[in-house]
Amino acid sequence: MMENLKEIIEALIFISVEPLTLEKMKDVLTEVPEPDIEQAVGELVSHYESANSAIRIIHSAGGYVFSTKPAYDPYVRHLLQIERKKKLSSQALETLSAVAYHQPVTLAEISAIRSVDSTYALHTLLENKLIKIVGRKEAPGRPLIYRTTEKFLAYFGLNSIEDLPSEEELKKLMQEENA
Amino acid sequence: MISTEFEQAEAQDGYQVKLQVFEGPLDLLLFLIKKKKIDIHDIPIAVITGEYLEYLGRKEHINLDREAEFLLMAALLIYIKSQMLLPREQPLEPDVDQRQELVDHLEDYQKLKAACSLLREKEDEMSQIWKRTALAAPLPEGDLDLIEVSLFDLAESFFTLMKRKQNESRRIIKGKEISMAEKMNEIVAKLKERGFLDFLEYLDAQETLEEALIAFFCLLELIKARLVVAIQEQLFHTIKVWLRKDAPAPAKVDS
Repeated sequence: MMENLKEIIEALIFISVEPLTLEKMKDVLTEVPEPDIEQAVGELVSHYESANSAIRIIHSAGGYVFSTKPAYDPYVRHLLQIERKKKLSSQALETLSAVAYHQPVTLAEISAIRSVDSTYALHTLLENKLIKIVGRKEAPGRPLIYRTTEKFLAYFGLNSIEDLPSEEELKKLMQEENA
Repeated sequence: MISTEFEQAEAQDGYQVKLQVFEGPLDLLLFLIKKKKIDIHDIPIAVITGEYLEYLGRKEHINLDREAEFLLMAALLIYIKSQMLLPREQPLEPDVDQRQELVDHLEDYQKLKAACSLLREKEDEMSQIWKRTALAAPLPEGDLDLIEVSLFDLAESFFTLMKRKQNESRRIIKGKEISMAEKMNEIVAKLKERGFLDFLEYLDAQETLEEALIAFFCLLELIKARLVVAIQEQLFHTIKVWLRKDAPAPAKVDS
């Protein structure tokens, strides 16, 4: 393995504001075999996790990006003059979950799942770029079809759609609540 | 409940009045089922309908726009009960349960609620960590390579967009009326919140052609009044609109 491979990757991730994908790393490190890159990334991630450092590397939206650790949240907020991070309203979150689990999906379908007209919530999500329009459905009225975005994944710290809470996790939670 | 800006934005629009804490009829129904410790697979329709109607009855004013969904559910419950009671010429097959569709729907919704609470946990976790994107890019100092765009650049971008929009051929039955003053306030508020707007994206997000036109005129007006500045960072790049730091106090604009 290249001697300073880890450091090179560290530099690449450091300058990337958006999550840096393995593909992009490979573009730079054409000579290096893929498993070596993956291993170096893995070592780098665990190095930051265990090191006495305020930052870590998170795997999010298909790439790697530096972030602060939770303990430093109050200080960062103070610096940025942000009282608290915006959270989704429960209405928006419910609509977003419906899109995430049923995508590609139309407004009418979401409204049916929730039994609530979701026009407004969908609009808010669209504006916040958590969902996007991907086309029209071949159905009466040719309604728009929606999907979640990369920003959605990053927002919840998910790596891909497969990372959404699984059927088993949901069932488990439902049982706990029904008990 | 934590009041957030998302919610505040909703409240401002005025019509997003929720029936207390329930997101919708399914949410209320689940709450009642849980409260009465009812098995979701064997719902006593009469009991639950009674509870449900009693809850609706407690509301003095029913806002039909918002609460039609709650009434629809009440109607569905009563319909199910009537189907179970009425004698039929040909008896139903014994294993057909009138309630099945509702139960399926409720279970799907329950699953959605579970997903929501798990996603909410993730949101909480993520809200405590910060990435470098959190530092919103401030209005660049000095001129550097920034090109303050001319009216023609703006117009050209706008017409490209309009052409794209034309092909969508949407039909608007009844447009809402938007005044320029309203739109300008919206733009300024957005700029204050986000720092800058992507010119094309913003216009593209407008619902109708009419609204996009108004937004475009508002932007021109704001640029003329030297409240905002339109900048293209590089040739062929997107045009960004920034609030001027030295902006004079916003003047009242005639609508």
